[in-house]
Amino acid sequence: MSSKQDIFNALKSAAITPQAMPCIDIAPRIDDLVGQFEASLNTVAGTLHRDGGLSALQTTVDEHIAKGMQIISMVDGIIGNREVSDTAHELKDIDYAVIPGDLGIAENGAIWVNNKSLGHRVTPFICENLLLVIEAKSIVANMHQAAKLMTLAPGEFGTYIAGPSKTADIEQALVVGAHGACSLNVYLT
Amino acid sequence: MSTSKSNVHAHKAEIFCKDESRVDWHSKALWMLREKRDRAAGSLPEWEQLRQIGSEMKLHTLTHLTEYLEEFEKNCTANNIKVHWAKDGAEHNKIVHQILAKHQVKKVVKSKSMLTEECHMNPYLEDRGIEVIDTDLGERIIQLAKMPPSHIVVPAIHMKKEEVGDLFHEKLGTDAGASDPLYLTRAARRHLREQFLSADAAMTGVNMAVADKGAVVVCTNEGNADMGANLPKLQLHSMGIDKVVPDLDSAAVLLRTLARNATGQPITTYSSFYRGPQQGGEMHVIIVDNGRTEMLKDKILAESLKCIRCGGCLNTCPVYRRSGGYSYNYTIPGPIGIAVGAQNDDTNSIPWACTLCGSCSYVCPTKVPLDKIIHHHRRLKSEAGKLPYGKSSYMPLVGKFMASETALNCSMGIARTALKILPGSVLKPFSGAWGKYRELPVAPNSSFEAWFKKNRG
Ligand code: SF4
Repeated sequence: MSSKQDIFNALKSAAITPQAMPCIDIAPRIDDLVGQFEASLNTVAGTLHRDGGLSALQTTVDEHIAKGMQIISMVDGIIGNREVSDTAHELKDIDYAVIPGDLGIAENGAIWVNNKSLGHRVTPFICENLLLVIEAKSIVANMHQAAKLMTLAPGEFGTYIAGPSKTADIEQALVVGAHGACSLNVYLT
Repeated sequence: MSTSKSNVHAHKAEIFCKDESRVDWHSKALWMLREKRDRAAGSLPEWEQLRQIGSEMKLHTLTHLTEYLEEFEKNCTANNIKVHWAKDGAEHNKIVHQILAKHQVKKVVKSKSMLTEECHMNPYLEDRGIEVIDTDLGERIIQLAKMPPSHIVVPAIHMKKEEVGDLFHEKLGTDAGASDPLYLTRAARRHLREQFLSADAAMTGVNMAVADKGAVVVCTNEGNADMGANLPKLQLHSMGIDKVVPDLDSAAVLLRTLARNATGQPITTYSSFYRGPQQGGEMHVIIVDNGRTEMLKDKILAESLKCIRCGGCLNTCPVYRRSGGYSYNYTIPGPIGIAVGAQNDDTNSIPWACTLCGSCSYVCPTKVPLDKIIHHHRRLKSEAGKLPYGKSSYMPLVGKFMASETALNCSMGIARTALKILPGSVLKPFSGAWGKYRELPVAPNSSFEAWFKKNRG
């Protein structure tokens, strides 16, 4: 007999009484979504740039390029100095990645990013620093609303990113920048 | 199997308790997490509602596992994900090895998975010539130190930064005497980047498996799971049958409580959804039973499968905080470790590593009734005639003694008088282990019974 069948047979003698699925109906907090989002983003060590939109971002990118940084942009209208490479591994020396986010979540500062806009899936993790772009109108109140709107077609990958990578594994001291990006700046358009 | 005294919880805890300042430091570090958790929970008005929904949703899935696992497998297959089934740890390890061997894998980067620990996978693969690199910083630290994890979320919580510094100096060549967490973390980042870039395969645990999408969710703060899974072309994910949830909205409920209850963060830095392999890559999911269906046969034990491994119950537990993770004889320590590990504990002592204070059940985001489960384990042990070392000799006598009113009243009277007239040094030896770290109580003037008769009777 297959192991799957064995497991399913064993499940027949489970002792707990069947329980109905609860209704997930939680009232969202909808006042000042951008303000809530900004506050949450700060608690996860990210920074929001409310003003200036894409042109402010391009100015920053140009400054970094002038300093010799390697920048890949996946956002239309923002020009970096690196193209999507053949292999994911070649991205290992990227200093900044500019990536579009689909949704911002006010309650926790996370941003939903889908692999269609990443080039390689590893882009937001392998870069030293991350620059995300989101539209103010794509900020939703909580994860329940996000669950209804997030794009994840068959075969795809997507991730909620809340701040730069971090760890507190050595004596609980918070260190920003573990394996993923060491900083996160979010530009609002 | 023989019950050696050296493995019983109290004895192992005693070893940990020898260094009193370390115990205080350990307890304080964990209590800090508990306080952060309280602030995060307190800031959400719907917190209790989320716990209730989380609990009901997990119970619903656990009572419909066949349907959801079937649906999950079907949707995974449609998404080009290969699904495997393993009855136990041995079969899990064999499946993993077969996949890796087929691709001639020499090096795997792994992100934290308590399930692979539970299956003792690392030594199994290493014996077969495959290098396994744990990539979560805490896991890497203890892997280099050749120790098991002492906590399910912060596995190296028992180590001091100076100890990590010495270890990194020896293994990674950092400066001698350096103990700054930032410096050490940066060194680990460089070291692990090399591993990510040179690995042939990646392996992760699974926080939630979404049935209606055929997708697995993996949460980390460091980004190690994603650096791992998205570089090599081969990715493997191991999950217990209890990890399946119906849909994205139910996953959202757990994503809202998991990190808040673990470390007080509103959400982990990365919550990644894999609904298929990368282009030109392969993705495998291994679904493991390893004792879970057995637990489901007991109404009370079954509820421990609602656990989402946030670690909240460890952080709040007064016994765990003062006895350390290694005293539990099991990969998973603390209250949840007792709940899921007590059956396999030969020393029959870990259900007693608990004061039944109930703090764990109170903080649990899916309302696992931990104190009830632990109490139930004591009953199961005693019914099986397996009381722990020491307790089996006197507990039956205590039972008889407590049942006899005359014997109890009479001896309590003697005890009260003794406490009043004899010096502590004479009496202390009679209190045994109980009195070791405690002062003897001040004797009341009369018994409760006498007081009750006089005042209320
Ligand atoms: S039993 Fe509850 S509190 Fe403990 S780790 Fe599991 S989910 Fe967290």
